[in-house]
Amino acid sequence: MELKSRRKRFNIYPYLLLAPALIIMLSVVIVPIFNAFNMSFMNYNLTRPNKMGYNNFGNYVKMLNDSDFTGALWRTVVWVVFGVGGQFLFGFMLALILNKYFRGRGVARAVSLIPWVTPGVLIALMWSWMFDGNYGVINDLLMKLHLIDDKIAYLARKDTAMPSVIITIIWQGIPFFALMILAGLQGIPGDLYEAAAIDGATGIQKLFYVTIPSLRNTIFVTTMLRVIWVANSVDVIFNMTNGGPANSTQTLAVYVYKKASSLDMGYASAMAIALMLVLLVAAIPYLKSTFAEKGA
Amino acid sequence: MKKLFAMFLALAMALTMMSFASADDVTINFWYWADNDAYSQTMQEMIADFNATNGKGITVVGQEYPWDGGGYSQNLLTAALGGGAPDVSTFKLTATPSFTNNNLLANLDDLIANWEDKDQINENLYTTMKKASGTDSIYVMPWNTQVLYVYYRPSMFAEAGVSVPTTYEEFLDICAKLTRDTDGDGKTDVYGFGMRGSNGGQEPWGCFLYAGGGDFEHMDSEGAIKGMQDYIDLYKNGYAPETAPNDGFSQVIDNFKSGLTAMTIHHIGSSAQMMELFGDDVDAFIFPQGVGRWTSMGDTETVMFDSCQNKEAAFEWMAYLATGKGQETWCTVTGNVPVAARVQALPQFQENRFMKVSIEGSPVAGILPVLDTTTQWIADWPATIQKALLGETTAEECMKTLQAAMWEE
Repeated sequence: MELKSRRKRFNIYPYLLLAPALIIMLSVVIVPIFNAFNMSFMNYNLTRPNKMGYNNFGNYVKMLNDSDFTGALWRTVVWVVFGVGGQFLFGFMLALILNKYFRGRGVARAVSLIPWVTPGVLIALMWSWMFDGNYGVINDLLMKLHLIDDKIAYLARKDTAMPSVIITIIWQGIPFFALMILAGLQGIPGDLYEAAAIDGATGIQKLFYVTIPSLRNTIFVTTMLRVIWVANSVDVIFNMTNGGPANSTQTLAVYVYKKASSLDMGYASAMAIALMLVLLVAAIPYLKSTFAEKGA
Repeated sequence: MKKLFAMFLALAMALTMMSFASADDVTINFWYWADNDAYSQTMQEMIADFNATNGKGITVVGQEYPWDGGGYSQNLLTAALGGGAPDVSTFKLTATPSFTNNNLLANLDDLIANWEDKDQINENLYTTMKKASGTDSIYVMPWNTQVLYVYYRPSMFAEAGVSVPTTYEEFLDICAKLTRDTDGDGKTDVYGFGMRGSNGGQEPWGCFLYAGGGDFEHMDSEGAIKGMQDYIDLYKNGYAPETAPNDGFSQVIDNFKSGLTAMTIHHIGSSAQMMELFGDDVDAFIFPQGVGRWTSMGDTETVMFDSCQNKEAAFEWMAYLATGKGQETWCTVTGNVPVAARVQALPQFQENRFMKVSIEGSPVAGILPVLDTTTQWIADWPATIQKALLGETTAEECMKTLQAAMWEE
């Protein structure tokens, strides 16, 4: 009787159903991550196959002494903070506007999605032309408005290249924030605003005491996701400046990509692991909240 | 029994015929890149022509990939290391060590030794191919070359009262004279030199390195540092657009075509569009003699992979490209310099002024040292040069960095 119930309890069917997904996960996620870990401890340069072999922590030691790496790490922080910060700020503003009723709101909502659905490479090309120091429309407009006297080579100067690529990534990411926050706004019960109005709250007070607290989870999750995506983003910077001039826009993801492109897989893997660890630290609050919600 | 024997005989004959047919019909997988639609179309027509005319049952199957700023070579290497190499591929010489170090390429010595057209190609080119592999063997088959030279606008030279420079010092001097404020608003409208500070700029920059007195083996020498200082001065003095550190191929060409720059360095591949735009108001000269003289020989070759099962058939296709009909067709359409003497002598090549300049520059044309550090050196070149152009490092520091990156283990 007891044996029968045990047999009943063990059913292979669910495992068979899960197997394809697990096998795919294993082969396209777990194995490559393991490989990257393994390569990060090796001299693994495909142009020097005769010198391949384990160097223990050689790549990690090199990384700490590599000013390009530490510079790229710092620029990654700047890129993420200003990039995601700007996306949130303008995305929030756009969501508030799109939440109000006005004529043509449907069209405005659709049009606002354009940056999000445009491929990153295309966005980079478009903004490169606008920022072009010789023929760009931005210089043209600013000169016509008498805000500048001479053309500025935005992408060729160290002081303007990073702000230029950040503006581009902000433009690309605004719709994502707007869309997520708009969905959140529509979920806030109207009676909260009515109660606040009865209590004499002003528009600003409603924003800070009703809207933002109600959107806390949405903002948190959306920001975390964007932090991870923007930190890993390569397409915009690579196509606008290739990390230049003089590495002034080279983030860690771009540096990893360039090293891997020149076939130094060992060093690129070590830096990729470092980037992953940094992002894991940033993602811990997100993971905690996700599992906490699941637990609840 | 007789019936059974007849059937067996018929079956044996059929199988024998099939085996003969399969021995004759050979498929060669060929990978190539094409810079534009016209080149792509031309290559497909050449493949069709070869398949129709080779008379040996060889069928070439072409697979086109983007050049992707050199990404092609890396993708090819990755594919070959993973066991997915084609039989034949177009190739750049600088990629050779990565492939020969991994024993991926077929040795062409015997095939070339027994090739009736081998003398059509100059011995110097074979020597260059051998040097690239670091052995006494040939692994890379010459196909066509492009020699870098200086494009200029004769009308701008006339307006500025300058003539084609015969020395390096004169070249630097006219860069200054050609930089002009043409509308009197106090701002530069035409820059003397279109400088390429981004990807691919190492080749035109090499002209300054040698003219200053350096070379690729001694990039930290006094002459090399002088060449670098001249390069920096051109930018700092405003004789090149401020965008130069970030300017790549398309920017320098666009700047020249728009009249923003009076001179720029590129090869014959741009000549068709230049002539279409400017007619006779565009010409070229080889970068002039300084202490030394050098210009870049852009090269495109073909290679056969060691994994190729039908090496003789593959070589037929490589020969068609190097000295056969393919050589003539490809060089006519692309304007690249042929490697086959017979094709070089054809009127369409002898009468083209840009081809003449290219051929004139051939004796001083060379390639970057082909080392296992070259790929990384090329990748790091823009950032290293940009730091010097933007004043973050001195010419000496810049050149020491480049020397170490190329030659130190």
